[in-house]
Amino acid sequence: MTAYIIRRLLYTIPIVFGVLLLTFVLFTLVGGDISIEIAGKGATAETIEEIREQYGLNKPLFLSWDSQFINHFKNALTFDFGRARDRELIIDKIKRGVGPSLALTVPMFFGVVIISISLSLVIAFVRGSVWDVSAVVICVAGMSIPYLSFILFGQYFLAYKWGLFPVFFSPDLTMAQNVALPVLIGTAAGLGGNIRFYRTVMLDEMRSDYVRTAFAKGLTTRRVLFKHVLKNAMIPIITRVVLAIPFLFLGSLLLERFFGIPGLGYLMVEAIGSRDYFVISAMTYISAILFVVFNLITDICYSLADPRVCLE
Amino acid sequence: MLVSMLAIEARNSFFLASSLQLPASIRVSRTTNVLLHFHFSSLRQMNFALKFATLEISRRAIRLAKKKGRFLTGLISVVFTTSLLIVAGCDGSASVEEPNEMVLRHVLYTRIKGLDPGNMRDVYSVIVGSQIFESLYQYHFLKRPYELVPLLAEDMPQISEDLLTYTIRIKKGVYFQDDRCFTGGKGRELKAEDFVFSLKRVADIKYLSQNWSIFDNKIVGLDEFREYTKNCSSAEDVDYSRQVEGLTAPDDYTLVIKLKKPPQDGQAHWPQLCTALADISTAPVAKEAVDYYGKDIISHPVGTGPFKLNVWRRGSYIELVRNPAFRGELYPSEGEDGDAEAGYLDDAGKPIPFADRVLWTIINERQPAWLLFLQGKVDATVIPKDSFDEVMTGTGELTPEMKQRNIRLKTFRDPSTYWVGFNMADDVLSRNKPLRRAISYAIDREKFIELFFNNRHLVAHGLIPPVMPSYNPGIKEKGYTRYDPEKAKELLKEAEKIHGGTLPRLKIAMPGTDTWYRQFGQFLKRNLDTVGLEVEMQYMDRPTYQERVNTKSAQMFSSGTSASIPDAQDFLSMFYSKYQTPGRNKFNYSNPDFDRLYEKAQVLPDSGERRRLYQRMELIALEDCPAALLNHRVAYVLHHDWYKNYKQHAFAYGLSKYRRIDMAKRTAYKN
Repeated sequence: MTAYIIRRLLYTIPIVFGVLLLTFVLFTLVGGDISIEIAGKGATAETIEEIREQYGLNKPLFLSWDSQFINHFKNALTFDFGRARDRELIIDKIKRGVGPSLALTVPMFFGVVIISISLSLVIAFVRGSVWDVSAVVICVAGMSIPYLSFILFGQYFLAYKWGLFPVFFSPDLTMAQNVALPVLIGTAAGLGGNIRFYRTVMLDEMRSDYVRTAFAKGLTTRRVLFKHVLKNAMIPIITRVVLAIPFLFLGSLLLERFFGIPGLGYLMVEAIGSRDYFVISAMTYISAILFVVFNLITDICYSLADPRVCLE
Repeated sequence: MLVSMLAIEARNSFFLASSLQLPASIRVSRTTNVLLHFHFSSLRQMNFALKFATLEISRRAIRLAKKKGRFLTGLISVVFTTSLLIVAGCDGSASVEEPNEMVLRHVLYTRIKGLDPGNMRDVYSVIVGSQIFESLYQYHFLKRPYELVPLLAEDMPQISEDLLTYTIRIKKGVYFQDDRCFTGGKGRELKAEDFVFSLKRVADIKYLSQNWSIFDNKIVGLDEFREYTKNCSSAEDVDYSRQVEGLTAPDDYTLVIKLKKPPQDGQAHWPQLCTALADISTAPVAKEAVDYYGKDIISHPVGTGPFKLNVWRRGSYIELVRNPAFRGELYPSEGEDGDAEAGYLDDAGKPIPFADRVLWTIINERQPAWLLFLQGKVDATVIPKDSFDEVMTGTGELTPEMKQRNIRLKTFRDPSTYWVGFNMADDVLSRNKPLRRAISYAIDREKFIELFFNNRHLVAHGLIPPVMPSYNPGIKEKGYTRYDPEKAKELLKEAEKIHGGTLPRLKIAMPGTDTWYRQFGQFLKRNLDTVGLEVEMQYMDRPTYQERVNTKSAQMFSSGTSASIPDAQDFLSMFYSKYQTPGRNKFNYSNPDFDRLYEKAQVLPDSGERRRLYQRMELIALEDCPAALLNHRVAYVLHHDWYKNYKQHAFAYGLSKYRRIDMAKRTAYKN
């Protein structure tokens, strides 16, 4: 397995290089010169030229040791992302945003995973019954309702009308209090699709011969479900769950915006809106690394969950 | 377990947790339920309990995993514990509001970029920065027409006979806010040299100030200083002790500014100097702060104003607290007619500021801002377009529900003008005045205002808005912006002759992609389609839009501006040929007659003659039609009746010091 892990880690080098090249080409060649925007209204040509000098925009793009791409590459490797358009250090922005984003997405993630796996096991067990059909109908309905509707409804009724939660982020409250409603909304909105997915996975397992054998041997329902069915269904669950983890770091765009959670989703939207390529590039790079790493972790988890999987 | 955590956040709703039977794989949740099922009297207690519960879960989860060897159960428990710790540990608290503490609660609709006055240009940064920093002069809070009065200056400047030398006495006993950049953390006294330093800083090209255009070619020696900074290898190499002839501090409390010689004798070169000295870009910054914080000075404002920065969570909120070292200032005792009746003079002569804290929450979406206002957690707000009927009756009054809530309405004519601009560097538009005028006649402005602004705005008949002193009351009769589709059709025939055939499809750049801009685009397209002109709406994000406009590649563009000073210069300078893109003249308009009058007006003090020149320039521009003018904004603002001294001001931003909260009324307010 060690050899496999080392090989996979070596694969990350061309992947990361590719990401860096792609973001550079997109932002530099396609995105155009941003010096005029940085200079602001009424800027003189000399100011614009000075900005190009200070940001290194007047250097050659590729064919030089001091080219823009080499500098972009070097900065990324050393995690020295420089300063954003508002002159704050990008790494400070990211560090500050990670906490609130994770405070929002991690409970939401575990809430969705735990509730949906548990419910899907139960639903799969009572397949074909009124409960099963009702659950599927509710899940489809939940999937069909736009995410924004969950937010607007939750914010208006749960927070404003009934006063159960704060309407918006308030510095006078703790982070736990501030993220409670968005977590609840995010969890509720995510249940429909996830329960349907896990129900399908569980149903596939329920129909297996070993389940019938287990029941024939007199094992309890709880033991069959949690000891055997859940374990055998782990491969698709791991794929879905572990690969979702990198996205937790990126926060939740809509929830952060509507509830004022100062996370990375908000940071990314702001950066896109203001064409802050420095921030976008840094976030893309970090996301790429996280994605590659969690891909590897997924593979390792396969072998842990199922001894038949051998990593060579 | 997760459901339990959520339930405790909803006060008294903990029964929800026990109603859910979670599976054995997460049976550790029972422990959590037991621990968390307390009846909490306040949200703060809940947070404490959450942290306590988290630690307890952590211990038990690890013990369980070890004891029974249940890897999966242990793993899930530990990971979930981590998530709880993240939530409990990410404490975003600023100051906790004390019972009788006066806190002003405001909303910003976009983030602020930075709090360094020398490089501050966006309005939201200026709003916040103006509470922290002060300039030499300020606009009188109550008097109208707008009047400049001393702020950090002792009095108005002494101007030499040749109108070129301004001697300004600085107030004594003004101190910078306490900050660790000063020796012992104690703010030192403000000196005239601080103004010299701050103005040189704006001139320093390494600093990349967006405010240099204000001082360009105005002060003796300052342009030479800028030239010198160009040759410095880095910002650190710039020597600020280098003398600038036109900026000197003969003693600690005297600032002397020498202006360059005017084109002709007897003229003032820069009669708007005092106006510029009321701009936040001229606010003094302590050299110690600049040296100490370096590039991070943008996040560490150290000014002389009534409030100082306490917490700034970028993109989320910013909190200022009263500056204990503030020298003290009194609420004005004079105003305009009607101010006494409106209660604006109730606090006359009282020391300001009244508030202990000022909190701005950054809210990008309208719904949460509106709901917070209705909950009484925000003092004032604009009326969201979609909630207009909830707020206003058809007769322009507040609805009974709003009156019952003791909500007050303020209307305010904003010194702004909006338009669809024509790029005069474009081959099709530049040589075809009938085409430009046809477009202008084709737009139904009254319908536009009805549809998009609930009939609140005013039709723009000219460039200069009605609130400006140089507004031409007869401009409507000139009919430059009347809706006349038949005339537009006639002009289009003429335009086709000039073009030499069928007109090509024209393109209009829109600085947004949201619903509002798309609806606005549809409206423009329908208006122009009606007269037989084919147009393509190009929706784009604002930076792309700015790039297109700045590189002269946008054929037509939707835009607008607000005046920053009570003078029409902000509007007219946009048509001065020397300011073509990337400067202020985004139309790339050029007319020698206009330029001549503009240059003439520039050296005149505010007077009848200057205003007449402005009106002549306006007519020249309207005749050439480099833009189809649309509307002037009228702001409708709502505020709770506890929010006192909320008089609108078009040009001043440092107004939080005047605002006061009637604490009894605020406490009594029920949503």
